[in-house]
Amino acid sequence: MRVGVLGIGKTPHKIQHDKSLRDLIVDAGRLAMDDAGVEARAVQAYYLGNAGCTGFCFENSVALMGADHLGLVPSPAVRVEAACGTGAWALHLGCVAILSGLYDTVLVMGAEKMNDLATVEGTSIIAQAADSKEEYFSGLTFPSGVALTMRKYMQVYGRSEEDLAHVSVKNHHYGARNPYAHLRFECTVDEVMRSAKVADPLKLYEVCPMTDAASAMVLCREEILRDQPERPQVYVTATSMGSGTWYAASDTLDDAFALLAKPAEKAYAMAGIGPTDVDVAEIYNSFAIQEPLGIESLGFAERGEGWRGALDGSTWIDGEVGVNLSGGLLCKGHPLGATGTSQAVDLVEQLRGTAPEGIQRKDAEIGMSACRGGPGAVAAIHVYQRLEGEA
Amino acid sequence: MTVSAIEFSRLGPPKLVLYAMRCRTCKTLHPWWERYTCGVCGSRDLVEEKVEGTGELVNYTVVYYPPRDFLGQEPYVVGHIELDEGVLVPAPVVGIAPDDVEVGSRVRSTLRRMKLGHEGDIYYSQKFVLDDDPPKRRRSPAQAAKKTPAKAAATRRSSPRPRRGSAR
Amino acid sequence: MAGLLRYGAYLPRPRAPLGEIQSFYGRPGRPRARALATPALDEDALTMGFEAAREALGGERAPRAIVSVTQSPPFGLRKMSATLARALDLAEDTVHYDLAGHAGSLLDGIELAGVLAEGDGERPVLVVASDHLVSYEDRVCDMLSAGGAAAFLVGAGDGFCRLGPLERATREVYDVWRLGTEPEPRYRLEVLFDSYAATAREALGALSHVTERDVALYTAVCASQPHPQTLRSLGRAGATEKQLAETSFVSEIGNLGAASVGVAMALGLDRARRGQRLVAFGYGAGEGIAQELEVVAKPPAIGTAGRIPGDPITIGTYYRWTRGRQQVPH
Repeated sequence: MRVGVLGIGKTPHKIQHDKSLRDLIVDAGRLAMDDAGVEARAVQAYYLGNAGCTGFCFENSVALMGADHLGLVPSPAVRVEAACGTGAWALHLGCVAILSGLYDTVLVMGAEKMNDLATVEGTSIIAQAADSKEEYFSGLTFPSGVALTMRKYMQVYGRSEEDLAHVSVKNHHYGARNPYAHLRFECTVDEVMRSAKVADPLKLYEVCPMTDAASAMVLCREEILRDQPERPQVYVTATSMGSGTWYAASDTLDDAFALLAKPAEKAYAMAGIGPTDVDVAEIYNSFAIQEPLGIESLGFAERGEGWRGALDGSTWIDGEVGVNLSGGLLCKGHPLGATGTSQAVDLVEQLRGTAPEGIQRKDAEIGMSACRGGPGAVAAIHVYQRLEGEA
Repeated sequence: MTVSAIEFSRLGPPKLVLYAMRCRTCKTLHPWWERYTCGVCGSRDLVEEKVEGTGELVNYTVVYYPPRDFLGQEPYVVGHIELDEGVLVPAPVVGIAPDDVEVGSRVRSTLRRMKLGHEGDIYYSQKFVLDDDPPKRRRSPAQAAKKTPAKAAATRRSSPRPRRGSAR
Repeated sequence: MAGLLRYGAYLPRPRAPLGEIQSFYGRPGRPRARALATPALDEDALTMGFEAAREALGGERAPRAIVSVTQSPPFGLRKMSATLARALDLAEDTVHYDLAGHAGSLLDGIELAGVLAEGDGERPVLVVASDHLVSYEDRVCDMLSAGGAAAFLVGAGDGFCRLGPLERATREVYDVWRLGTEPEPRYRLEVLFDSYAATAREALGALSHVTERDVALYTAVCASQPHPQTLRSLGRAGATEKQLAETSFVSEIGNLGAASVGVAMALGLDRARRGQRLVAFGYGAGEGIAQELEVVAKPPAIGTAGRIPGDPITIGTYYRWTRGRQQVPH
């Protein structure tokens, strides 16, 4: 499959008290359409990923709102929700729309406004993506659910907290070099170890901040982008989705592995590539432990070894595969609905060669994004390729 | 609806004064929320424009089942007001019993409390009351045409009810 | 010499049945007011001040300053004058002043406005007094808690009414006060009645001395009136029934707080003619301020008397509004 990425656009990831959700939506949408060189009336459908607007903003049908304010009317618009995998789902639906032949050009966006409410309120709203009435009734929160997984990983593979702390060090190294990131400071293993406990053994520097952000892409039929050779020839070449358990209690390490591994297998087949072909990857890591797990699922490392690349350099910018050169969710934050699209936009920048110096991997041609959602419920794998010879 | 003290700071000031949005490309005047893209010509070039606040009540409804923020105020009137500058705005109409509201009345905007926000802050906004000033207002030809005596009589109810005051 | 250019007044329309409220709480005696002018659920000191100010401005958009006088601003730690100025869409360089104080402070505001206007020479100064008194349970029967607003545009020249001499009398008295930011006033009615009477005598006496005019010679006395008993005290200070006839309203609509003296002035000015003199008497917390008003042209009357009658509300509605306010006062 080939879906053309005609244009991309994104807002900074940070607390933005002067921007409402609709401001973020309009900003990102205009940037993407301007980058694509398309007028609003050329967009034939609009998929907006947003997971928490009813809780955070007391607004519901925000895709309809976005369509109005972006001037997309009368094209159809819909809000997409799949917990933390929301943005990736919006991208998936955009691809499906193009591949079905029903649409030539669509706008795909993720947008989330999380900071109008206090953290304790936000935590309760985020918990609605899990079974807030039953399992989370026991006082669990998302960090605490993942903390249980982290402890299992350490027990099964005999790893220490220090071993895993390297993941945060790597992410923060690149976050500090990403002007669009929420957190822009480097840190040492020692600082990670000394950071405040959030949900033992997860520490502050191993969890992501709540952020406000929006990111968007204009997707098109392959031929439309081919016919504009002066534009960067970046295509989505695989889109593969899956689901898993909605309960942290039943989320074993094997489940966590399979959640991403199964759709990743299909994605490699769709794109006609293997793990060693991937230059850059954005792997969902709202909590640091999810990066090693994702690295293992995507076949970049053996089970139990996914953490090592942050220590030995193999997942750094010049390593075998540059993982989360954007700073990951640890530094960009996790704007629920916009995370999946943020991964996509950042990878497209890598393939175009337009990422900021310091995080731009040399000659990146193939990128892969792995987005997950809920306790262990959503998996979304995408492959992006710059196709040589047509540039 | 309304969210928090942060949103309050962001939204507060604009509602102290009634304003509309003017598209600088096609000159259409829009309600205050249409600030990004002109729904008529697609232009992004929109600017705030102050309005006088006077106009004609062209439509209204009476709400008997309010949302939480308006609990205690029912029944209350929400009207569509065609401002003299040529833009339609929705707003509560107050200071008059629901039974006595008449389409075609001249109204003017005033400042009133609208609701309490999520954290208890007071949101003010524009509501409309009957315009007691003499009608020395410029009117569009369309509005002037509407104001023929025959039309005015037709907008009144056929059987006038006695005023029961505002006993609620 | 500073003078008044225009004025405005706003009384909320709902009229709460004080008699029923009183019998609901089992209070003996005749209710001291026929009704209470009760701000609707969507009104407060800011919105009422807005209406009165709008009337007083009459299209003026760039006064030198706006002075707001209130004891019941919806927001603390902020200037209500600033919010009023924005709502009225006044010029960027209009200065905002908040003057707190007591129920007679409107006259302080007008005096200061005169000084500011004369200093400027060209631009007038707007003074707005508004209050929404809230008492709960049976205390409303004593405090006659109501609400309203009055506003005055003060200019450097005479306007239609010159601001004449002003005299004050003051004593350390606790008759109506509030601790910090408590929602309700504390009061001792007997102390109020005594202090009002004594202070009125002193202040009006001092004014008499300076102007060499007997109080009885004024066409009208426009006084702060927290309670009908206080108007009776004015008699002992030299005011006649005729002087109070057109400017008394507390028995009709209750205690308007800082707006009280302003509404009394509006009632007096509405009926005044060129060449007449009125005296405004503002009272609060042991201070009496007597301000002579010399009418030099026909006042731009606003028909304040026609606004005294309003729309009756049931005791149930009154209860629902005030209890609601009690949860989230002001």
